[in-house]
Parts: sequence; structure tokens; C-alpha cells
Amino acid sequence: MEEHKANRRYGRIMLCLAVLLILAVLLSLSWGQMKIPFSHVMAALLQGIAPGVADAGVPADQAAVLWHIRLPRTAVGLMVGAGLGISGAVLQGIFANPLADPGIIGVSSGASVGAIVAIALGLSSLSLFALPVFALLGALLAVLLTVSLSMRHGRIPVLTLLLAGVVVGMFLSAVTAAILTAMNENKMQEYLFWTIGGLDYRRWDHVLLAIGPMGTGIAVMLLLARHLNILVLGDTEARAVGMPVTLYRMALLLLASLTTAAGVCISGNIGFVGLVVPHMMRLLVGPDHRRLLPASLLAGGCFLVFCDAAGRVIFSGMEVRAGIMTAFIGTPYFLYLLRKQQRNLSD
Amino acid sequence: MSEEFVFEAEHLTVGYPGRLVLHDLSFSVRPGELVGIIGANGAGKSTLMKTLRGMLAAQEGSVRLYGRKIRDIPGRELARLAGYLQQQTAVPFAYTVRDIVMTGRYPYLSWWQQAGERDRQLAEVCLAYVGMADQANRPLQELSGGQRQRVLLAKVLAQQTPVLLLDEPAAGLDLMYQEELFRFCRSLCAAGRTVMLIAHELSLADRFCSRLLLIGQGGLIADGTPREVMTEPLLSRAFSADIRVSVNPLTGHADIYTQPGQPAADREKLLRQITGREGSDGRA
Repeated sequence: MEEHKANRRYGRIMLCLAVLLILAVLLSLSWGQMKIPFSHVMAALLQGIAPGVADAGVPADQAAVLWHIRLPRTAVGLMVGAGLGISGAVLQGIFANPLADPGIIGVSSGASVGAIVAIALGLSSLSLFALPVFALLGALLAVLLTVSLSMRHGRIPVLTLLLAGVVVGMFLSAVTAAILTAMNENKMQEYLFWTIGGLDYRRWDHVLLAIGPMGTGIAVMLLLARHLNILVLGDTEARAVGMPVTLYRMALLLLASLTTAAGVCISGNIGFVGLVVPHMMRLLVGPDHRRLLPASLLAGGCFLVFCDAAGRVIFSGMEVRAGIMTAFIGTPYFLYLLRKQQRNLSD
Repeated sequence: MSEEFVFEAEHLTVGYPGRLVLHDLSFSVRPGELVGIIGANGAGKSTLMKTLRGMLAAQEGSVRLYGRKIRDIPGRELARLAGYLQQQTAVPFAYTVRDIVMTGRYPYLSWWQQAGERDRQLAEVCLAYVGMADQANRPLQELSGGQRQRVLLAKVLAQQTPVLLLDEPAAGLDLMYQEELFRFCRSLCAAGRTVMLIAHELSLADRFCSRLLLIGQGGLIADGTPREVMTEPLLSRAFSADIRVSVNPLTGHADIYTQPGQPAADREKLLRQITGREGSDGRA
């Protein structure tokens, strides 16, 4: 039966994604200034899981790099990529538009304002957590502003939400620009470095900071996937089958924003993952969000970890930040999708 | 459901704040009736149906469903009582026909619950009923307008409601399926369901509906059996046109003809402007 065939196909795709994810993680642990052979990576990981096993013979410097640099960095990449992937899929569903991404409701511009305030006040040099916490607050405030601007009579019309998101985004960019022009060069550089999202110098602290909100956001979004299938069909259709539309739209919007914001605050703005990954997965597993969300989760993590690893080895002696790599790989792919869609339309 | 009436509208005024469409309607609908709502374009048929379904708030008066005020019935319960087929549904992304029909099961599932085997079987049955079982795995976007309409009807059927409100269910259907649809509705009513539908094709409404509500001039012009409603003066009033009705003695059904609404000379003049042959006296 066709339905079982579709189920089997989905299973195979998920298995492939899982294998790719493991490969990306291994590459990310191995590649970099200090090359660590796969055998050593495996041995060190085994040793970490079961310390009783005999000494695996991994040099101490390699083990240190692995545990204190590469692993936290890869973990941040996995979390952020997965979070951006699934949030992008949820937002594309809420807006019933394949071009929506987490930036559309002001998350990234809000985070930027938060970050620049933390830098301008000099708080970022006092504590490692100041900048992420400010970015998170900025992002959440921006989303709340967007939602409250578009709320009318207890309902949130999608088009108004979209326009409000654009307006809030523009306004906050202006705020950022105004603060930026008044800052000294050092602080300016610090901000610039933050805007181009990257995973370098990420520590276990960063993982611990974001894992709570991101884990919660992701888990609840997965749980609500079925409702997104109804929400996509529009207000009237959703109300006709008895869905409390505003409640679910608001809940999913806030979950996607929280997840994205928590990701942005530990990695900076990383584009294209939330846009390209869900789009690609929709072509592979179809539009049913019960499949699309888990697939986007895996693929997002895989994509970002791979981009980060590739950015470390693409030029020798110089690292290309993950936020730049995702755009380099994401843009051509997106253009290809766009052209393909145009061809389909003209047929 | 032992109540005497399915719907009761009392001094109902429908429309939007600042733009009232229909005033002071009072009527009631009994179980098993097939009620056709007819009237000219823009008369307010859809607005009335949305208000009956609780999608729009009544501007004045009230709507009762099985004796309860419609706005007091929670959304999920309402979705188990009255199905609603809207005039146009835009489906983004490549959802399959089966996916869409399965959404009709939504009001029966708790928020954490997934659809089960029984829901899936019911969806298949509904698809078979509208003759679309062989298309279950195709994306809805690929289907023609008429096929889509049938899938959406199957979705409403999967909701298993005692009441169905259908806004122009026959729009875009082939002649054969238009009649087929009215027959579907009649058999649903024979099985105890109550159907209200908006009909464009007056002769089909005349043949199949047990009762007609004629809407026009900002209110309810007539309410009764097709024989009582399908009369020249009433229809002419509702459609602001000169309408002739002749009852076919063989079938007992009405044939409806319209006379041109505008004077012929005026139309000639407008046509000359459109075709750009103003100076040539309409000949050329």
C-alpha cells in the first residue's frame, strides 16, 4: 500500500540523516588546526564514556582539545542547527509560506539590539553570560512587540503579523545602527564579530546556558506538529474543525522564537539554516509536519556542524565562520530551488 | 438530539460592525431538512452561513443550535455538531488528498493524540463516497477545481456532524457531479442529517431542496417549499431582474428564464464604447 511505502521511505530518509549527522560530528571533532585522527577521536570518546577501559593512547593535548574545545563547539553547533531547522519549519507553517524564516518576526534584529546594548554598556567584558542573556531578552522583546502590534480582537492575522515583523525588524536595525555609530572601534569590532555568527570559542557554559530553553522549545514543537498541519490551512478551515487558532498560533510562534533566540544568543546570527533546511526537507519527506519537523531537526544540526567543520579546513591557517559558510552553501542551493520553482510555474 | 429545531434564528442581523448585510431574519430549521439558501451575488448568503456556523458574531438577535446559543458552544464541540465547507480553501504545500480528509478528524482527538486506524478507515470511506478513493495519495494542488471540491466535501463528511453547512458546494463541478452532489445531500438528509447549502443553480435547488430561503434586499424575501418560493414576483425581487418561471408539467420542476435587466439601447451604447466603434453608428 502507498501509505506504507511512504512510511518506509520516511524511515530510510531519517536513517540517512542520522548517519550523516554522526559523520558530520566525527568530522567536526577531527578537523581543525590540530588534526585528530578518527581512531583517536573514537578512543577518547570511548574512554570518556567508560573510563575503566584500558588507556587508549590518545596524546594528552589531543584529548584536551577534544574535550574542552571541539566537543562543546560541536554540541553548540548541533543544538543551534537543530533549533534553527525546526523553528524555520514551524514558522514556514505558521505563515503558510516557504520563504519564512526565524528572522521574519524580528528575532535576529531584536537579538542584535540586545547584543549591542550589552557591548555598549561594557557588560560583555565583565561576564561571559552578559551578551547571550541580553541577546535573548532583546529577541524575545522583539517578538512580543511584533505579536502585540498584530493582535486585533484576540486574533493574529498572518499578513499583519508578517508586516509587523518587517516593520519591527527595520526599526530595531535602525536602533542598532544608531548605537553602533556612537561606539568606539574596539566595541564596534566586538559587535561585528558577534553579528557574523560562529561557533569558535564555544564552551560547555554555552551549552548549559541554552540547552534548557532550546530543549523545551524543540520538545513541545515536536509534540504540536499535528496541529501545525491544521493551522497551515488558514483561520477559517482551522476554526471549522474546532481549533483554537490564536492559542496555537501564539504558542508555536513563541516556541519557535524562544528556540531561535536561545540559539542566536550563543552563536550569533546564523542565516540560511532556518530557510533552506525545512525547504529541502519538505521536498524529501513532504509537507506533513509530523515528519517535516523531526527531519528538519536532524538536517539542521547536520548542516550547521558540517558547515562549521568545513569552515575550519577550507583555507589553511584561516577559519571561515559558520555563519559565512551556511550562506556560501545555502545561497546557491536556494537560487537553484527558486529557478526550479519558476520552471515548474512556467510549464 | 431530541430537540425540535436544529437551527433557530431570532431577529438575526448579520454583517460586520458598520456594514450590516441582512436585517431581522427569523427562521428555524428542523432535523432532516435540506435547506437551500438562494439569492443574487453579494446578497449576503455566505455572511449568513458564517453567522449560522458561529464564524461571525451576530450583529443583533441570536442563533441557536439545538437550543443552545451558538456563541456559548465551545469550538471543538461545535466542530462535532456542524461541519462547514467554505467557498474557497487555499491549500499551501503539497498535502495529499488523504492528509486533507484526515483533518476532518481533528475535533475528535485530544491535543496530544494522534489519529488512529479507525480515523484512517473513515477517511477512506468518505473519499470513496465522493468517488475520489483512487486519488488518495495525490497532492491536492494537482487536482482540478471540481475534484478539490469533492475532496473538501469528503473532509466535512469525515467530521461526522449531524449538521452540514455548505457554501456553494457545487461550484466548479461538472454538470453530472452538480446533480450528484445534491443527491449526496439528499441521502444524507434521508439518513437524519440536516444540510444547509448555498446554491447558485436555481433549477437544481428547486429539484432537490426540501426548503428554500430566498435572500435579497437586505433581508429574507421568502421562506418555504420550492413551489412557494420559486415564483416570478419573488425571484424578480431578489435578483432585481425580470424573471420568468415555467413549471414543466412533465417533471413538476421549474424552468427559470431571465429577461435582460438593462434596456437594450443602453447596452448597445456601452458595447460600442468597449469595441471602440463609436463613430460608425454601431454598424461597420
